[in-house]
Amino acid sequence: MKPSLPGASTDRRTLLRLLGVGAAATLGGGTLAGCSKEAGSKGTATQADAIRAVLPAYQPVELVKPDIPGQGPIPQGFLSYPRQLVDAVTEQPGRGGPQIKTMTPWWGPTPPGLGRNSYLAAVNAELGVEVNPSIQDGNTYADKLNAMLGARDVPDLLSVPNWEIDKIARFSDAVRALFEDLTDHLSGDAAKAYPNLASLPTGAWEYSVWGGRLHAVPFPTDGPFGWALFQRRDLLEKAGLATPTTPEELYQFGRQATNASRGVWAFGSVFDMVQQFFGCHQTWRKKPDGGLQHKYETPEYRAALEFTARLFAEGLVHPDTVASKGADEKQLFNGGKILMFQDGLGAWQGMQGEQAKVTAGYDMQPVPVFGANGGRPVIWGSEKPIFFTFVRKGLGKDRVTELLRVLNWGAAPFGSREYELREYGVEGQHFTRAADGSPVPTDLGRKEMAGQFGALGGRVAVKVRSGDTPTYVQDYLAYYRKHIDLMEKDLFAGIKLELPANWSKIITPTDDKIRDILRGRRPLGDLDQVVKDFLASGGEEGRAFFEKALADNGR
Amino acid sequence: MSDVDTAASRVGPAGPGDRPSSATGGGHPRRGRRSRPRRSLADRLRRDWPLLAMTAPAALLLLVFHYLPTLGNVIAFQDYNPFVGDDPVEAFLYSEWIGFGNFETLFADPLFWDAVRNTLTITAFQLVFFFPLPILLAILLHSVVSGRVRGFVQSVVYLPHFFSWVLVVTFFVQMFGGAGLLAQEMRDAGLQPWNVMTDPDGFIVLVTAEAVWKDVGWGAIVFLAALSAIDPNLYEAAAADGAGRWRRLWHITLPGLRPVIVLLLIMRLGDALSVGFEQFILQRDAVGPQAAEVLDTFVYYNAIATQQWGLGAAAGLFKAVVGLVLILTANHVAHRLGEQGVYSKR
Repeated sequence: MKPSLPGASTDRRTLLRLLGVGAAATLGGGTLAGCSKEAGSKGTATQADAIRAVLPAYQPVELVKPDIPGQGPIPQGFLSYPRQLVDAVTEQPGRGGPQIKTMTPWWGPTPPGLGRNSYLAAVNAELGVEVNPSIQDGNTYADKLNAMLGARDVPDLLSVPNWEIDKIARFSDAVRALFEDLTDHLSGDAAKAYPNLASLPTGAWEYSVWGGRLHAVPFPTDGPFGWALFQRRDLLEKAGLATPTTPEELYQFGRQATNASRGVWAFGSVFDMVQQFFGCHQTWRKKPDGGLQHKYETPEYRAALEFTARLFAEGLVHPDTVASKGADEKQLFNGGKILMFQDGLGAWQGMQGEQAKVTAGYDMQPVPVFGANGGRPVIWGSEKPIFFTFVRKGLGKDRVTELLRVLNWGAAPFGSREYELREYGVEGQHFTRAADGSPVPTDLGRKEMAGQFGALGGRVAVKVRSGDTPTYVQDYLAYYRKHIDLMEKDLFAGIKLELPANWSKIITPTDDKIRDILRGRRPLGDLDQVVKDFLASGGEEGRAFFEKALADNGR
Repeated sequence: MSDVDTAASRVGPAGPGDRPSSATGGGHPRRGRRSRPRRSLADRLRRDWPLLAMTAPAALLLLVFHYLPTLGNVIAFQDYNPFVGDDPVEAFLYSEWIGFGNFETLFADPLFWDAVRNTLTITAFQLVFFFPLPILLAILLHSVVSGRVRGFVQSVVYLPHFFSWVLVVTFFVQMFGGAGLLAQEMRDAGLQPWNVMTDPDGFIVLVTAEAVWKDVGWGAIVFLAALSAIDPNLYEAAAADGAGRWRRLWHITLPGLRPVIVLLLIMRLGDALSVGFEQFILQRDAVGPQAAEVLDTFVYYNAIATQQWGLGAAAGLFKAVVGLVLILTANHVAHRLGEQGVYSKR
């Protein structure tokens, strides 16, 4: 950013004085202009001990024995679909209460609404109460959420992705004002009334506490990694290109694979993965002498930025990605217009299953993570739940228990009849069975199902082999097992952080400047100034806040 | 962005619809001459109730959606927290007063001044390169004699106005983007494609081109109406006196359009700090905030997206005050030059 002109600051002062005089004169007092203060919260951190006191008592439910057992945060794997399904919920959740309004994110086309959707009708009949979901675009979920919270107008059940929460200043105030305190319903043994909720991992519940009270039902993650770099294995093989194992090979791959005149570029967005290859931490890392160091301050980050800026500069990134951050990279990848892009691992099974029918030989695989210059890569991740489900405040005890029973139904684990209905719909309508008994979604199923119940609340995560993705479970679990030791340790696990306003505020402007460097609109040398600005206008305040949170918890 | 600034900026200009009555000033002299005894309120109500009933919905709309939200401007002086108290009204009452803290934060932010500078640059550029085009188009269309040709051309140039910005920007990307038609044609021809959509330096030309494509026809409508109000006898008389085409344009057409041109110019000046929102937010990442951050997108990213409502309201208020000052100044200048401006001078 260019420094502002000296003249401009004089103008600002003059203007302020003018404004001050005007307002003071109107109010008949001269004190107002003097007592101005900075807006925004300073942030709070809830101690880990206070959190443990309110958690539900863990009580596992195992209906079917997994073929590949879970390992820490890595989910269980099932290679065959159980022939005998079990009832996980014996009592109908609904008690004829009024319609339940919900809101959930979805990254795909909007499904037909209530009354025109046979999947919704089937589930609602099973629930005994009518659920009316509002499905919102996951990419712009924050827009809707901000307006909704600001107006204090929330649905009965609201699903909020964890990454949106960090961006909302004063979220803990919103939680207190708008959402029911679930502690009395779910804390300790009280959770036994909702056995499927009690079977969710304690690590996920830890994050669902605000101000020392249990305020949400977590949607446990089905794998803690934030990103993977996906490649079109089939196209790479066809072109005789090997999967890169060093940054240099990645760059050479980019040069060989890009063929602009045929509309093919090597890469979509890759910067987050490149940072991990170069060993950058997601945000903070501990310095050997104590204290925290932000990734912007490290040579690893500078190297990752330089590397990625070169990919942009040499035209190895698809123009649509260059032109916006919301480019439809899944489409470009499916169409073979880009050969590699980063995405959450959650995208994998759906894309592979759907595209295998369209494109013969379609093979989407994550690139194994590698380090740069002999260094060790760092994989970003945490056991933080993917979503949190909040219950609207002030509905009364009976209604809250009805809503929790609906969430309990939604948490029915793999191997239950409820799971099958929720995830696949009705046999013959929304799915058919492959020879091995596993469900294969029909076109109607793909059209009508959009996480209306799947994203509304979480369940114990499993990976299940499906007819259209025969090797997926093994591939997925193998990727995790291979890389889990590279995952960075969450320094703040179990501590609930409410970030200071100045910290939340500085993130977007800094991202903008970094993007300018990536796209070559600013020289790489500007990074020093960008980092200086970042630290001065919120970064240092953030560092002090995070260091204090660690110190208070004796870490 | 917010209802707040819309409402505030409306205080300045009266709508074009108000003009004729106040300009002609029809009723006043006659009523003065008659000097009848003042009627009672009940009498007047009985006489005027149909008129009042017809005005009521519009007045109500204005009250509820423009004047009432104006009260919300108080949050510009608060550390506004929408979640204190038991309902939204209490949130206003219980939020902490911080005087000019929001304004100080805003004015101390170099990004804010960058956004203001970008906005004003774009406004100035478009005043020169966009504002005259609808006038030229209107004069051109007016001179087309064939009604059929004129109707056809009008439909074609009006149509893009009804496309949303998402469509317009997508259309430009498909045509001129790095993977678009033009770039692929150029590659096929062995040329280096031209990065129209991602060049920060050319951005101002690009957005103006988009705006012209979308709105030039629509903007011509009001000038066409003004042109048809010019008495054709003037042209005939001038032609009979031997005035050529250019002289007629200079001495009849342009003076006939002048009040409308001045009116629209003043209103545009009042809106100097608004250049649109969707068009810029859609293309901001393509060229970077240094070229594409305008005041409205600044407020979106730095206030709305991080829930700093007070800061957003402060920016809105700033915009409204600047707009009001510009309108009053421009109007004053117009009066000095003998023009009518947005309201007639008594």
